[in-house]
Amino acid sequence: MEVGKIISIFEISVEVVVSDNTIKIGDVLETVDNSKYRFEVIEITNTTALCISLNSTRGLKKGTIVKKVDDGLKMEYSDALMGRIFDAYGEVLDNKEFKSINKKFINNSTVSMKDLNVESSMLKTGIKVIDFFAPMQKGFKMGLLGGAGVGKTVLIKELIYNLYNASKINSVFVGIGERSREGKELYDDIVSSNLLDNMTMVFGQMSKNPVVRSKCVQTGLVAAEYLRDEKKGDVLLFIDNIYRYIQARSEISMELKEMLVGNGYPSSTAAEVSKIEERLSSTKDGTITSFQAIYIPADDYNDDAVQNVVSYMDGQIVLDRHIAELGIYPAIDVFKSTSRLVDIDKIGERHFKLVEETLKYLTRYQELEEIIAVLGIDELSDEDKNIFHRSRKLRYYFSQPLHVSEQFTNIKGEYVELEDVLNDVENILNGTYDNVDENAFFYIGKYNAH
Amino acid sequence: MDLNIDKVIDDIKKDNNIFSAGKVIKVNEYNIEVSGLIDVAFYDEVDIAGKAKGYVFAIHPNKVIVSLTEIEDKIMPGDLVYSLNKEYKCLFSTDSIGKVVDIFGNDLIAGKKFNNLIEVSIDGLDIPLMDRTSVNRSLLTGISGIDLMYPIGRGQRQLIIGDKKTGKTQICLDTIVNQKDKNVICMYVAIGKTKKEVKEIYYDLTKNGAISYTIVMASFNDELPTKSYLTPYVALSVAEELMLQSFDVLVIIDDLKKHADIYRQISLTSNKVPGRDAYPSDIFYAHARMLEKGCQHKSGGSVTILPIVETKAGDITDYISTNIISITDGQIVLSKKNFDKGLKPAINYGLSVSRLGAAVQSKELSKVGSKLRRELLAYLDVKDIYELSDPSELSPALKESIDRGNKMINDLKQYKYSPKSESEMQTLFSYVERVEKEG
Repeated sequence: MEVGKIISIFEISVEVVVSDNTIKIGDVLETVDNSKYRFEVIEITNTTALCISLNSTRGLKKGTIVKKVDDGLKMEYSDALMGRIFDAYGEVLDNKEFKSINKKFINNSTVSMKDLNVESSMLKTGIKVIDFFAPMQKGFKMGLLGGAGVGKTVLIKELIYNLYNASKINSVFVGIGERSREGKELYDDIVSSNLLDNMTMVFGQMSKNPVVRSKCVQTGLVAAEYLRDEKKGDVLLFIDNIYRYIQARSEISMELKEMLVGNGYPSSTAAEVSKIEERLSSTKDGTITSFQAIYIPADDYNDDAVQNVVSYMDGQIVLDRHIAELGIYPAIDVFKSTSRLVDIDKIGERHFKLVEETLKYLTRYQELEEIIAVLGIDELSDEDKNIFHRSRKLRYYFSQPLHVSEQFTNIKGEYVELEDVLNDVENILNGTYDNVDENAFFYIGKYNAH
Repeated sequence: MDLNIDKVIDDIKKDNNIFSAGKVIKVNEYNIEVSGLIDVAFYDEVDIAGKAKGYVFAIHPNKVIVSLTEIEDKIMPGDLVYSLNKEYKCLFSTDSIGKVVDIFGNDLIAGKKFNNLIEVSIDGLDIPLMDRTSVNRSLLTGISGIDLMYPIGRGQRQLIIGDKKTGKTQICLDTIVNQKDKNVICMYVAIGKTKKEVKEIYYDLTKNGAISYTIVMASFNDELPTKSYLTPYVALSVAEELMLQSFDVLVIIDDLKKHADIYRQISLTSNKVPGRDAYPSDIFYAHARMLEKGCQHKSGGSVTILPIVETKAGDITDYISTNIISITDGQIVLSKKNFDKGLKPAINYGLSVSRLGAAVQSKELSKVGSKLRRELLAYLDVKDIYELSDPSELSPALKESIDRGNKMINDLKQYKYSPKSESEMQTLFSYVERVEKEG
């Protein structure tokens, strides 16, 4: 059905004079002569429709006639989505045959308070620093925050390795605005270890236009919702990286000449984020546990977009450049990493006390470092010397050889039980290991006293 | 419309390509507004009365904005504008190897246009995810601090970042020189450099026998910003084309901070809403789609990119730097302090990263390299703590490890254009492995 004619084009923003008054927001239009150009309607007046182009507008002619093809973008909503890899518009990317059974619009409503479920059980990640400082529960949203190049993606990959590979629980991976190379390598890794069956991947990488990047989250959410609502089970969702969604939305707003607020974000950022995060909830049918990498632009932890996403998280792991600089990976800032579970009633007295004590030691260590820079280590009291050396051991102990970074470290990756972590930390704190050289704690799993 | 209809009809008869015309209604430094030009497509090539060339930048209901790329004469309101009814493309000659060229097919040293030109599209479609394969072949720089600890692979994007005068360009030139007889086509892309700098680089490459496999593609400060903005995209389109023919290509982009500033200038004059630090919100995308051309392709070819970013006061956490760090597969950070101390190349070993690591290294090199890095970082950490202590009171083990750290730092020094081979590096640092075995 022909619905109008293009009158203006600027990058991804396209305006159409409409000859038909049935056009609605969200409709998908296409040029009549070929399907190379597709558009989504985002604003209508009685004579025109403002659209964003789903593909590049290069070579698109003024005056081209457009037709309506659908009421919205759709994603597969059936078992056919499992073990497959999709782009943001729900098309398969793996060049293999695909037969669609049932499709669903990617704009879905959020979970109502009535259906929401908040009770759940613990979830161990096998990563010392996460299980100790920011323990997880099924249905949690864990934010992995970090500036550029401090190891967010590596951590996400390790979580996939430890959680998905071990349990083969149904999972969805959404790659937004990240490196294509990493996306392909992750796919290859999962294929080569024969683990693709329960994994669905959706990609809109950084080489794609902002519309692709902003749509792929919703496309991924449809897959997660299918696994929760129809397969009635627990779902793991990995998003790398949710900041890129907000970034893509800002780019679109800019192209549409909308007024941007601080640091170039649209004023609707909070609303956009809530539409995504509120869909990611657990119901009586199953839980969605999500790990969301959050990029910190210009190392500015107080960035509006970052703080906006963080407010939805049940826990956060913050990666720090200064720790990475010391070669300690995962480079986690233990002072900023925590979760809702860190509560004496939830994790028990022993674990809670150990976390408190560790933080107390490490805080003092930071003060001591400044003193040493001026006076040298010999001037410290014996008690402070103990705190100083034990803290260094703790700091080293929270490094961990990861399975996915064996190629960097040449050390075999380790999964560590929480009980072992608690024992080791206790022993370091109470001085049992005072005679052990600090290097013995560097890049190990649990400590084996000989 | 008071177009000179007779002239248009005349032009259409003379040249079949010209089928649509308009008139200049507003001129500024590198944009013009055109009325008419009805039958036009986005990104079409446009000719302005034979005086200038450009491409369609935006189409509005009553006017078209054209971005100018080449201006030969002053444009006046009322000048006729023709669309050539084809996508705007740049020119490149296969004879460019060994030459300094620009994106319009000029040989800048000889001062003339090449004869056999081919059209190159500007930043075409992205490389499909499934056409990429893993990066696992090494591209050696000949610099032990890089090849051992922060190795670069064919198809990798490795950022070189640091203040002015810390040897960023030198590292890249060293890398080009080390590609001799290794079947790698090198491209050095200069963005907004001075003509003098580019000529010096050309002479340096010639002296070191590297020009025979290198293309220098340049845009200068005194040219139109649009040209400087487009240069790296065109260079990478050329590189991509070569990659699809199974060649290994190394592209140096010097530098992207300048490119970001030029893009900001263009965006602000075309009324895009400014974001952080007044850069447009799509500055990340502008660089991401450029650097994503770097990959190992299933055809067997690859594009390796070494973008350079200049920082101020050693701050690598500013907006543009962190953007690019989050695109590249690692970074070599250069420090002014090390440079002034004479520790050249002035690599900051703590902040530098390679995300591919041992995957692009030979087994032997990776064994030495990973131990060297761990020991070096531990040494740099410990050094500060015991700096004020009396050496005679340190435990022998500690003293020895500090001495060994000093030796490592010393052994990592390397003069420009004196590449080391893999086996030389292994021999030089073999003591790292030995000590660990004894301990």
